[in-house]
Amino acid sequence: MASKFGVAGGIPERRVRPIWDAIDSRQFKNALKQVSSLLGKYPNSPYILSLKALVLERMGKPDEALAICSSAKELLHSNDSALMDDLTLSTLQIVFQRLGHPDLATSCYEHAAAKFPNNLDLMMGLFNCYVRESSFVKQQQTAIKMYKIASEERFLLWAVCSIQLQVLCGNGGEKLLLLAEGLLKKHVATHSLHEPEALMVYISLLEQQDKYGYALEILSGNFGSLLMVEVDKLRIQGRLLARTGDYKAAADVYEKILELCPDDWECLQHYLYCLLEDDPTQGIENKIDAIKLVDCRSSPLTDEVFDSRITRATTFVHKLQENLGNDIVRCPYLAGLEIERRKHLYGKGDEQKLMEDLIQYFFRFGHLACFTSDVEVFVQVLSSDRKVELFKKLMESSSTISQVPAKALGLSITVFKFQQLVGNMHGFTVDGLEDLAVKMVEMFCKNLPLSKDLDPQESMHGEELLSMACNVLIQLFWHTQYFGFILEAIMVLEFGLTIRRHVWQYKILLVHLYSHVGAISLAYEWYKSLEVKNILLETVSHNILPQMLGSPLWMDLNTLLRDYLKFMDDHFKESADLTFLAYRHRNYSKAIEFVQFKERLQNSNQYLLAGIESAILELKQNAGNIDEEERILENLKYGVHFVELSNEIGSKPLTFNEDLESRPWWTPTPEENYLLGPVGEISHIPKDNLMKKQEANARTLIEKKALLPRMIYLSIQSASLSFKDGVEVNGSVSNPIVSSEMKILLEHFAKILGYHLSDALGVLGEVCRDLKSTEVFGVDVINWVNFAVFSNAWKLNSNEFDSQERGAHKFGSWHDVDTLLKKCVLERLKFLSAPISLHVTDFQMLVRLITEPLSWHVLLIQSCVRTSVPSGKKKKKSGSVDPSVLTLSSVVHDSIQSLCGTFEEVMKWLRNQIRRLECKEENLEGILLSMRNEVQKGRPGGAFQILETMCSSGSKELGDRISGALKSWDSNHLVRKIVSGQRAVLSETLSICESKCRTLNTLKKQISQI
Amino acid sequence: MPVIRRVTPSDLYHLNLCNLDPYTENYDISFYLSYLMKWPSLFFCIEENRAIVGYIIGKVESSPPALQNSPHYLPWHGHITALTIAPQYRRLGYARLLTRALEQACEQQKAWFVDLFVRESNTTAIKMYESLGYSVFRRVVDYYSEDVGGSMKGEDAFDMRIPLARDVKQEHIRADGKDHKVDANDVY
Repeated sequence: MASKFGVAGGIPERRVRPIWDAIDSRQFKNALKQVSSLLGKYPNSPYILSLKALVLERMGKPDEALAICSSAKELLHSNDSALMDDLTLSTLQIVFQRLGHPDLATSCYEHAAAKFPNNLDLMMGLFNCYVRESSFVKQQQTAIKMYKIASEERFLLWAVCSIQLQVLCGNGGEKLLLLAEGLLKKHVATHSLHEPEALMVYISLLEQQDKYGYALEILSGNFGSLLMVEVDKLRIQGRLLARTGDYKAAADVYEKILELCPDDWECLQHYLYCLLEDDPTQGIENKIDAIKLVDCRSSPLTDEVFDSRITRATTFVHKLQENLGNDIVRCPYLAGLEIERRKHLYGKGDEQKLMEDLIQYFFRFGHLACFTSDVEVFVQVLSSDRKVELFKKLMESSSTISQVPAKALGLSITVFKFQQLVGNMHGFTVDGLEDLAVKMVEMFCKNLPLSKDLDPQESMHGEELLSMACNVLIQLFWHTQYFGFILEAIMVLEFGLTIRRHVWQYKILLVHLYSHVGAISLAYEWYKSLEVKNILLETVSHNILPQMLGSPLWMDLNTLLRDYLKFMDDHFKESADLTFLAYRHRNYSKAIEFVQFKERLQNSNQYLLAGIESAILELKQNAGNIDEEERILENLKYGVHFVELSNEIGSKPLTFNEDLESRPWWTPTPEENYLLGPVGEISHIPKDNLMKKQEANARTLIEKKALLPRMIYLSIQSASLSFKDGVEVNGSVSNPIVSSEMKILLEHFAKILGYHLSDALGVLGEVCRDLKSTEVFGVDVINWVNFAVFSNAWKLNSNEFDSQERGAHKFGSWHDVDTLLKKCVLERLKFLSAPISLHVTDFQMLVRLITEPLSWHVLLIQSCVRTSVPSGKKKKKSGSVDPSVLTLSSVVHDSIQSLCGTFEEVMKWLRNQIRRLECKEENLEGILLSMRNEVQKGRPGGAFQILETMCSSGSKELGDRISGALKSWDSNHLVRKIVSGQRAVLSETLSICESKCRTLNTLKKQISQI
Repeated sequence: MPVIRRVTPSDLYHLNLCNLDPYTENYDISFYLSYLMKWPSLFFCIEENRAIVGYIIGKVESSPPALQNSPHYLPWHGHITALTIAPQYRRLGYARLLTRALEQACEQQKAWFVDLFVRESNTTAIKMYESLGYSVFRRVVDYYSEDVGGSMKGEDAFDMRIPLARDVKQEHIRADGKDHKVDANDVY
């Protein structure tokens, strides 16, 4: 036995090393040559075979690799004398994994482990396989076996973690935790505990079962010394004491922690909650995703006890403040404010004292960027009058606090931010807002010399001012509807980026503003400059993806979707190996956290949606070629999996990892854009409500979109069948099945739209006959029109549509679809008037009408024509033409005519818009000109003129870098760029329409041959 | 309102304030995760208002035993792989908080010193580390080997160190560290 495992795969190391080196340095041809020659000597060596498979897989020959891997696997199973070491198996595992057959690797390990049940290397490999598969029960069983063989603490902990995972992420009941506890207890009795992580797992296990007292006992005993960092131990102790209800002892512990770490805000909160015996942190871990600890229940204490506890806290906090050795630790001062807030919540507040403390805090930390967010929660308890009074006091004192320019600037910025915080912004008049924007931009320009010696990687002094000015300008637009304010906001941000190229906050604002003005290509350019990659793809791409999905820039959209999906898929492939790393390094709790992290990523709503959108994009791009479309559908397994997803989405866990904090105030989620809505008060919508709405929207969106590929597939089949009976669908499904499946999908689709199938068809019929307006579709125009197109396809091959139904205004003819398509398109064109006020959602809707329902309809026509026209591969058997086919052909011919007409209208409009964009008076250049020439009160231009003056005046105080940047500022060039961006979108849409027309003209010629 | 604590995997969903800054490397996700799986006690972050505003990634290791007799052999020591503070949260002493936390963790693991590599040209970072008690121990010639300024010559790195309690004789401080050159290939 020993010799079998002494040598790598039974082959001398020196012979194999060069092959691995060649693989590592990506010299695959060389590696293949060497491995083939070695295989000549050892033809039946599973190790060499698996190495060859590895090389072939890397060379992009998956089929050959799989064949060789499978023969190596056969050898292992059939040949008793075959060498079965971990090296061979792990090499096989890598290849099987990369080929998408991890189960085959698992079966190799299972076979080997059964054959050599005492071999720990093989057992570990097997454990790893189960980790990859998230088979928590099998993980547990394997770990227990290893523990029995070696009695090592780590294997027991692997088993315990596997049990915890069954409870936390699987279907395991909580009773299993008792089993895990029993295993640990027994081990402790015989072997004691040796690792700090083992102790952490033990305590977490007890906490999960609410056995806090016992956990404390363990921690206070000998094992406590395993935790070498004193503060770590104290934190656990404090938490456990609070949970047992021993608040006094917990508060003592938290005092000790705070003496060691005075800047730990969370600990301070726990301290106060314990003193006031009101611990809302029960069950909440110290995690960023936990509920924000802002409000809490009122304290259950009597007045006297409350007073004495508050006195204790105050004394302690004063002591902390006195002991501070520097002036940058904020926590003890915030603690003073928090004590006042707590008193207020208890009904013993003193607003005057809180105000004084806030002013003191302003004197100390008012110049910091974090001041406003620090005090937000305390200001909230003040009455409106007090808030205004406080604001005035801060404003008055801001100029007296510091003569150091950078500090004085910081204080002024804080005053602006504080003004927004106390709600003055919404009450501002247009004049007031205008003054504010001008002041902000002026202040930025005036203070530029402060930044002259800064390294480009450092933020400029006052950088925030331009984002704030942009927000005020957008607010001005919102009040006045003068489009120039949006242009001015763009100018302010672009100016900032001219001076320092790296301010991502400006870039994100620009991404949204350019999207809003219909210059999506510029939005995408700024997005690209953010260099979003890796995990940021998941958290940041919501800033561009929704807009791109409605744009005609398919190449860029394709890149976006592809990069995102590649990141996610690659991560899922390798992530399990990372879990095993945690087990190997004995960081058991990380193994559990990691599995939870992975599940969160896997359930991402964006991930699910991107998968569907990517498929739909491919279908859109190739909708002019039915043969290509069918190939794509085949690769998509005819959309069957997507239909399953659509059916399951209601009950599937869905996560939202988007960082919405970075979005502008006027578009807090991808679905909301206040600039599109009526001007009025923006009522403050709590974030939680927005999130709930976003989740509901995402579920519906996935449910709807996931049905599309299958509906497209069935529609093509149905159209084809209507011209020719008896064709087999999908290899096994026949004619009536297409019809009945389509009916089920249409019923599902109608249900999502809020109707029964028959009622939905009725609505479509009434809209077609002008008995109802398209307003009945609401925001769901695209889906209704898609539904109309697919209904028509269903009708072609279903006898459920009888004349009676048609008589009752039901929807059900080619003519009806053509009418509806034309109607919706023309309505969109009517909404879209001047190019500069390009109503972005209406334009997106126009693009989607053209590229989705219109395209699917053209696809149906292609299917009909391909089946009916006696040409090429699809020749008809007999020479005579069925009269019903002739009628249908004539209907299809009319439909082609109607569609051509619709596209002509769109193209005419697009050409006209492009022409208007070329005319300076009608595009943004005209607005810029008026902003430059004279500024009237309440009109855009004030802030912009400051920028222009700054650039023309020049200043020696600014240093070479900033002066050089200012010289390069050219607002004329910039506005031309924006206009070109708008034109690019129109031109791209025009070229899509032209291509559709070419397809239709070809079809027209073909059908006239019948 | 800062909270300094160890990083958990789910914190990776909140790195934007730091990682959107182009001067902060936005590593592959498996990079962060493998550090987290191997050295969870050396990966700290500072959280403010539900966002990660700074983090430090570290490891403890020594040179492989085979290099034991090499003059460049490194004993058991801590290493700062990455340290970043979001631009708007700088000058609040957060870098100090994070490095002290990491140094303390390395002390517990009986490391001799903590070191880090920094570009010779990155004077801002060098100044900051000096203010935290780090000093240049040696100069690694051409450590950053990418094309610099059109020539194929790389840029030197400074290996900066702070000795820990175990280094009683202060063997890991040199007044003239910038003059002690070492070839990039000899650095583990």
